[in-house]
Amino acid sequence: MPLLEVDRVSKRFGGLRAVSGASFSIGEKEIVFLVGPNGAGKTTLFNLITGFIHPDEGRIRFAGTDVTLITPNRAARLGIGRTFQIVKPLGSLTVLENVMLGAFLHTASRARAAHDAREVLAYLRMEAVAAATARDLPLAMLKRLEIARALATRPKLILLDEVVSGLSTAEAMALAALLQKLPERGVAAVGGVEHVMRVVVSIANRVVVLDHGAQIAEGEPHDVVRMPAVVEAYLGAKFRERHL
Amino acid sequence: MTRSHALAAAAFAGALLVPFVVRSDYTLQVLFRLFLFSALGLAWNLVGGYAGQLSLGHSAYFGAGAYGLALSTRLGLPAWPSVGVGILVAMLFALVIGGVSFRLRGPYFALATIACAEILRLSAKNLTGLTGGDVGAAVPALFSGQVVRSFYWSAVLLASLAAAATLAVTRSRFGYYLMAIREDEDTALSVGIDTAKTKLAALLISAALTAVAGSLYASLFLYIVPDQVFGLDISNEVAIVAMLGGVGTIAGPIVGALILETASELFKNVFLEAHLLIYGGLLVFVVLFLPDGIVGTIVRRRTLARRRAKPPRAPDHAAA
Ligand SMILES: Nc1ncnc2c1ncn2[C@@H]1O[C@H](COP(=O)(O)OP(=O)(O)O)[C@@H](O)[C@H]1O
Ligand SMILES: [Mg+2]
Repeated sequence: MPLLEVDRVSKRFGGLRAVSGASFSIGEKEIVFLVGPNGAGKTTLFNLITGFIHPDEGRIRFAGTDVTLITPNRAARLGIGRTFQIVKPLGSLTVLENVMLGAFLHTASRARAAHDAREVLAYLRMEAVAAATARDLPLAMLKRLEIARALATRPKLILLDEVVSGLSTAEAMALAALLQKLPERGVAAVGGVEHVMRVVVSIANRVVVLDHGAQIAEGEPHDVVRMPAVVEAYLGAKFRERHL
Repeated sequence: MTRSHALAAAAFAGALLVPFVVRSDYTLQVLFRLFLFSALGLAWNLVGGYAGQLSLGHSAYFGAGAYGLALSTRLGLPAWPSVGVGILVAMLFALVIGGVSFRLRGPYFALATIACAEILRLSAKNLTGLTGGDVGAAVPALFSGQVVRSFYWSAVLLASLAAAATLAVTRSRFGYYLMAIREDEDTALSVGIDTAKTKLAALLISAALTAVAGSLYASLFLYIVPDQVFGLDISNEVAIVAMLGGVGTIAGPIVGALILETASELFKNVFLEAHLLIYGGLLVFVVLFLPDGIVGTIVRRRTLARRRAKPPRAPDHAAA
């Protein structure tokens, strides 16, 4: 039984089909990337899986439970962690406190939460900024903070929405090396990125390509980039961008 | 026991001894107001400061305490149990008002709280059979003998209770949940916080404390009308006390009450009914120049200074 099963899910915003008939599944400890140009529907899918919005059609199952109409806080309790593409730090709290809020999902003790938060911060190489106020962090660290806070909830699955976008190649590769260890921690991951980039090729088991809300390809990173539909989607997108 | 514990204990003991030194009933009444509004500011702070939900309708709970006491005694209940009824009614109002307004975020939430309090005020004015309407309702005396002194002590106790409750909250997971909701409600949801239930819990505690303050206030005056205890003035003053001192801090509302009560004492003969002008002016000043309030600004300056003295090590981006 797959960990996450997205089954013919669709979501409309007014007349716009943000996601139409997306179907894919994620196994335990797998790393899969959703790839698609800006507006392809990646963030919408993450919002659907975590219950921030609900689908018009289709079902979503997680670890054997139907989560189609779940609330966001219950999704987190079931073991679905998430980051936000537009980072959402708890700005006036410290980095440690931000991560403690994730850890509070499984303990009411402040000491225990701080201990667990420090372990996650160490994993993400963030110990040095533990005492900093979250809103003062540079973007690369804010992206890591999103991941740290979600990991502290001890999810079975973490959704990583554009966690490498806006980072330099060096920063992105450093983060990828850390994310590669997620399966060792027993965590599966679904990433969202705009292009099949080095990071994706280096850590993804599989790639699902979306365009205009529809799923156009699925496979190993190397194979997917050669598929005609994918090439067409990206060239088309580039063409439109250039001629807008 | 840390230094701030010792300081708090000394302040509490000092406050309890005041009536043995201050003999004037008038001065004691001013000090009663000071502690009453400290308690109110602290109670408001749980919702408006820590949870960041700007309630501008706390008179709903204040009025519930006042009328709860007045009306239950009329039904034959003794005075102190009637205070308990006021608390229960306020908590019931909180459940309904929270249920309605916590669905809304930002200014819409604030407007909804004002609307709810206004509905209660207008109901109290018009349900003349129950409340006496604008003619008012008699409130039983909670104390006999040295009355003003007893009211003063009750207000000190209530403020201390509110401060202790705030301290307990800030040291608990619940307190962290409130701050997370204030900072970003989506993030709070994403780490599994039931934000609706958490906000409601904070409002229930806040409403209960506010109702006791309403009962004390009503009983000191022995007579209440809807415009006074359910009015916008009370709602505004409670919020200003907390914002002036600094939301999300324990000392903030106490400092805010001290300044506001001193100012209104000093200026009341000069400006008479112009207190609204003073509130408005103070609020504009705070929002423009001290968005963290007085205590909040001091705390922030100190933290900044400490961090500058010991800068964090540069993050290790390349590490892998
Ligand atoms: N809440 C919303 N209301 C209306 N349109 C939305 C909303 N969220 C996303 N969209 C639209 O849905 C489409 C998919 O967006 P999104 O899921 O953010 O794509 P991606 O993350 O792949 O860039 C876009 O056209 C976007 O403008
Ligand atoms: Mg997106």
